[in-house]
Amino acid sequence: MAQTATTTIQEARARDTVGILAEMPDATTDAVSGGAAEGALAYLTEMSPDLRGGAILDSTGSVLAASDHADRWSEDARVLLEVADRAGDEPVQQVHVATEQGEVFAMRHDGLTAIAVTDRFALASLLFFDMRSVLRDLARGGDGRAGEAAS
Amino acid sequence: MTPPKPHRVLLDRVSGYADEAAAYMRRRRVARRPFARLYYSGGRGSDHAADSVAGGELFVAAGRLIEVAGKRARS
Repeated sequence: MAQTATTTIQEARARDTVGILAEMPDATTDAVSGGAAEGALAYLTEMSPDLRGGAILDSTGSVLAASDHADRWSEDARVLLEVADRAGDEPVQQVHVATEQGEVFAMRHDGLTAIAVTDRFALASLLFFDMRSVLRDLARGGDGRAGEAAS
Repeated sequence: MTPPKPHRVLLDRVSGYADEAAAYMRRRRVARRPFARLYYSGGRGSDHAADSVAGGELFVAAGRLIEVAGKRARS
């Protein structure tokens, strides 16, 4: 059986990988429309019965969609993420704060940020999973409902 | 003495599991205290106590967001 030299395979892999990466669209948040973000937030609300409210922000911190009071969501989310970033030596990816009054979840993914406020004892892993799938789909240019097709 | 019917055994076992789960949830509600947890790339996480500087700021910021969200919209 003919064998290909390992170095040849590695060169081919490197060459092809570069090609694949060059063809991939940039995960730019500029492409995310407010309508898509609102649809995604509605989908997140639909999937999470514990959700009281939430918002989706772009990379500049501007609100793309919010359940209510967009200006306050923008300001308060910015404060939360600033505080969270200051608490460590690198930018935070996920925040989970549980209080007596409710729980706050924040997630950064592909330049987008999702914030969710829930009742107490919400299932954190499920909510983070839903938030990630919504943000990932939005960043790819979808409407955040990619998980719906899969389920 | 006759052995219990198989479906009785199954029902008892399911009831036992349900009781255990209910007790676990009760204990969780009672014992769980407020916390602030941050996660970083690579899966690293860190907890911040409420009496620490960062923890206190996180609770204040989270409290403002909870206030914005208001009460639960749906019944």
